[in-house]
Amino acid sequence: MSSVLQARGVVMTFRNGDEETQVLRGIDVDLAPGELVALVGASGSGKSTLLSILGLLLRPTEGEIQIAGQRVDDMGEKARAAFRNQRLGFVFQFHHLLPDFSAMENVAFPAAAPAGGISPEMRRRALSLLERVGLADRAHFPASRLSGGQKQRVAIARALMNRPELVIADEPTGNLDLRSAGQVLDLMGEVNREEGGTFLICTHDEHVAARCHRRILLVDGKVQPQEEKAIPGG
Amino acid sequence: MFALTVARRYLTSNPAQTVLLVTGVALGVTVFIFITALIEGLAINLTEQVTGNSAHVTLEPATRLAQILPGDDGVRTEGVALISTFQRSQIRTWSSTVDLIRSQSGVAGLSPQISGNAFLVKGEAVQPVSVTGLEPEGLDAITPITPSLVSGQGALGADGLLIGVELAKDLGLTAGQPVLLRTDRGGERLLTVRGIFKTGLQSLDSRVAFMSLQTARPLFNLPEGVTNIEVKLDEPGRAREVADFLAGATGLRATPWQDKNLNLEAALDAQGRTGTLIQIFSLISIIIGVASALVLSAYRRRSEVGIMRAFGISGRFIVAVFMLQGLLIGLAGGLLGCLSGYGLCTFLASLTGADGTPPLPIAPERGGYVAVLILTTLGAVLASAFPARSAARIDPLEAIQQ
Ligand SMILES: Nc1ncnc2c1ncn2[C@@H]1O[C@H](COP(=O)(O)OP(=O)(O)OP(=O)(O)O)[C@@H](O)[C@H]1O
Ligand SMILES: [Mg+2]
Repeated sequence: MSSVLQARGVVMTFRNGDEETQVLRGIDVDLAPGELVALVGASGSGKSTLLSILGLLLRPTEGEIQIAGQRVDDMGEKARAAFRNQRLGFVFQFHHLLPDFSAMENVAFPAAAPAGGISPEMRRRALSLLERVGLADRAHFPASRLSGGQKQRVAIARALMNRPELVIADEPTGNLDLRSAGQVLDLMGEVNREEGGTFLICTHDEHVAARCHRRILLVDGKVQPQEEKAIPGG
Repeated sequence: MFALTVARRYLTSNPAQTVLLVTGVALGVTVFIFITALIEGLAINLTEQVTGNSAHVTLEPATRLAQILPGDDGVRTEGVALISTFQRSQIRTWSSTVDLIRSQSGVAGLSPQISGNAFLVKGEAVQPVSVTGLEPEGLDAITPITPSLVSGQGALGADGLLIGVELAKDLGLTAGQPVLLRTDRGGERLLTVRGIFKTGLQSLDSRVAFMSLQTARPLFNLPEGVTNIEVKLDEPGRAREVADFLAGATGLRATPWQDKNLNLEAALDAQGRTGTLIQIFSLISIIIGVASALVLSAYRRRSEVGIMRAFGISGRFIVAVFMLQGLLIGLAGGLLGCLSGYGLCTFLASLTGADGTPPLPIAPERGGYVAVLILTTLGAVLASAFPARSAARIDPLEAIQQ
């Protein structure tokens, strides 16, 4: 079976002087193409740490990771950056939009910076993503003038710009009210269905977790075995 | 280039800060230009004062010895020290030498001369004079004599003599009167004072007499040659170079004016060094200003830069964004500073003091504009290198977690 992500034996130990904290103690994760997976667990259980490792933002102490069939844990910094740019998408709890750029420019940014400019094709793609997240009429608004929910929707569109194989989202609805959170989640579900990307979403929100295909529960640095929900349409 | 778009956006997103920063750079550039134009102007002014009434390069026979004698007014001028030999040292081929000099670019004027010592005798009064015999059309080539005439006129004629106002007073002479001239070569002739000049230079006004070359020939026993050729240049600063060339080309001894005014050269050098020091400090202040502004900006934008890094945007791109900000600030500040510096200098140069001359001898066209524009731009880019590198090294995780 081809998997989008395959992690084996991921261990993360933080060292602070003499003090050692083992946050992840041998984690295996497999994500199939098109899956929408919730990563859940108590606060401090290591969810963000695992997402950073799987998103190539942090190197694990131990473990082997393959994304889209490619070993990524032994890549150099430049190759990891290029990989993040072309194959991964990120949504964080805080939107982290560039306030001096329009919504459209923010969405196109991950494609435009390496290419040296926003091509007409990038523009079309960015506008269609904004349309999908319901912000077609805000495309040329400066990001700083959008509402919190709108910003997070722009951030989702940005994460999808380069058609990533895997989108990693760390509490994407954590800063939003119930209604906005619902919209954001609907959106990820829709995009997942239409574009077929794989989503790994860390969340504390039961509503969010309930709408995913399955969940991965992290307890004390290990994955707790779970009953799987049926994959919709399957 | 997208990095340029981002750099421009960053600068325009905070117009007040950018305007302040560019103004600061422009101010530094204005100071640089003002100092450059002032030092250059002072040098031109001093050089003009010293060389305005004398030659920039003097050509003499190679065997003739000259001594540096202090003049009455303290300015070192060349005293004529002739060696009394039967064979008078002279430049025989002077007309071909004159043609050669005239063909050089940057030569403003030249005058082949017979210089010698003599006495002027009027009744009981006797005064020593330095006689300069020259071609009448070359009378003003080295020293503007005609414009300094206070009485009589400048036509030398066959027996005419022009003397300084001090000498005229000492001998009680007025224009149109005859006077006896007796040279150290034994020549003697009754000449007529055609005009009296006042240059303001003691050494000229009290000791020098001009006559035509033809009049001087029999008096100094030089039927064909001349004793020296005086050259005036468009740019006094090139005198040494021109002298070296002429010495090589003619085999004559060529003395640039600086060699007769070593004190002035030293003073100009010291002045130039002071100027350089101020220029360096104004550049350093520009660099520090730009660097600190960009360090702050890189700090404020660390989370933005962090997210760019998370999205895999290269460190090179981020370095480019910050260095291009430096480049834009340097260029804008440099251009603005050039404009305001030129404006300030032309304004100061247009002022007139009590005596009708500008209070500061500033040379607005010598502000070093191209140099300061290049240095400022390079300096600003250099200043942005450190903040750019530190921005490119921001850890995306740290920035995202805030
Ligand atoms: N750089 C670090 N150095 C030392 N300890 C760290 C570091 N980063 C995280 N930790 C620790 O690792 C543990 C897991 O942190 P992590 O942020 O992954 O938890 P989380 O599951 O995302 O929690 P939350 O739900 O509150 O966001 C915590 O105890 C935290 O203190
Ligand atoms: Mg977390």
